[in-house]
Amino acid sequence: MACSTNYLWRGETTWFCCGPGWGPCGSAGGGACGGCRSDSNHGAWPNASAACWDITRPDYCGENMPRRGCGAVMRVRHQCTNAAVCFTIRDCGPRTRSFCGERTCCNGVCRTNRILDLTPRAYSTIGSLSSGKLPVWIYE
Amino acid sequence: MNPPIDRRSFLTAAAVGGATIVGASALGGLDPASAFADPTPSLDPAIDTAAFAEGRVTQIKGSALEVAGSHGDQHVLQITNGTSIWKVHPTSINAIEVGDGLYARGVDMPDGTIAADAVWVNIVNLHCTVSGIGRDRIQLAHGQNSVVGNVLPGTTTASYLGGAQTSDLSGMKIGQAVQVLGAWRPADDSVDLVTMWVGH
Repeated sequence: MACSTNYLWRGETTWFCCGPGWGPCGSAGGGACGGCRSDSNHGAWPNASAACWDITRPDYCGENMPRRGCGAVMRVRHQCTNAAVCFTIRDCGPRTRSFCGERTCCNGVCRTNRILDLTPRAYSTIGSLSSGKLPVWIYE
Repeated sequence: MNPPIDRRSFLTAAAVGGATIVGASALGGLDPASAFADPTPSLDPAIDTAAFAEGRVTQIKGSALEVAGSHGDQHVLQITNGTSIWKVHPTSINAIEVGDGLYARGVDMPDGTIAADAVWVNIVNLHCTVSGIGRDRIQLAHGQNSVVGNVLPGTTTASYLGGAQTSDLSGMKIGQAVQVLGAWRPADDSVDLVTMWVGH
């Protein structure tokens, strides 16, 4: 898999900190895969492994995305601005099951369910960190 | 009609030329949220390939921020008329203090500094569980740690199961999953609550 243009999934993305950091992020750790860094283009996928799936359970929300393990490379695009960035999976997340049905919209078009978490570097490439979550499409 | 101003050129000129630049309002909204609300990218996508900084502010010299990265790296950020700054809400460089944490994106300058496009000060986005609810604070479990969330009247809002954001926090219950967007307070390690998304 690579950073290309083949559709993989769509939904909401949030952001999270990982690796060494300040404040509450100081205890975040390097993610389920190890090596996750807030200042790198990294991300978390709900189906990074079977154990990961058991935590995130996106299927409870009707999301049955395919397995993409540590090191998989994807491209995420903001639904409305088309700003995009390539990133590498370094963690498991988000916990999709806790927010079933949640929507994020732009220009009147909404995306449903949390299907991706990005590091601050990756997220800030396609949107403002103060937005908290964004509607996105994912490719590989 | 003048051609649209390229964000990269604007930031570079701002960092080099200081006060001689045109007003930043030519680029649209100055706060980070509005900068991304426009249907067309208001920021030059090429900025992605340029610069990102993470760390804590060690010194403030005029419009320059010296930042110690969490991986031992060092950065100097130049704040210009075109820089969007967030600290609980859109603000100015005057709100930044030594010891603050930040994330910044911008443009690499020839002298090794970064002309900052956007700076988010002390911003955190934590996936937590509600463990206690008080009048002016909410106790949060974040992994193995406990975080005190400060309720800011007029600022703190929450949405419940995807609903609209509201200042009414009475719907929060202990044990609920919640995503907390807020600003860390270095002085006491608490978090000022800005926007919360409550799950189930």
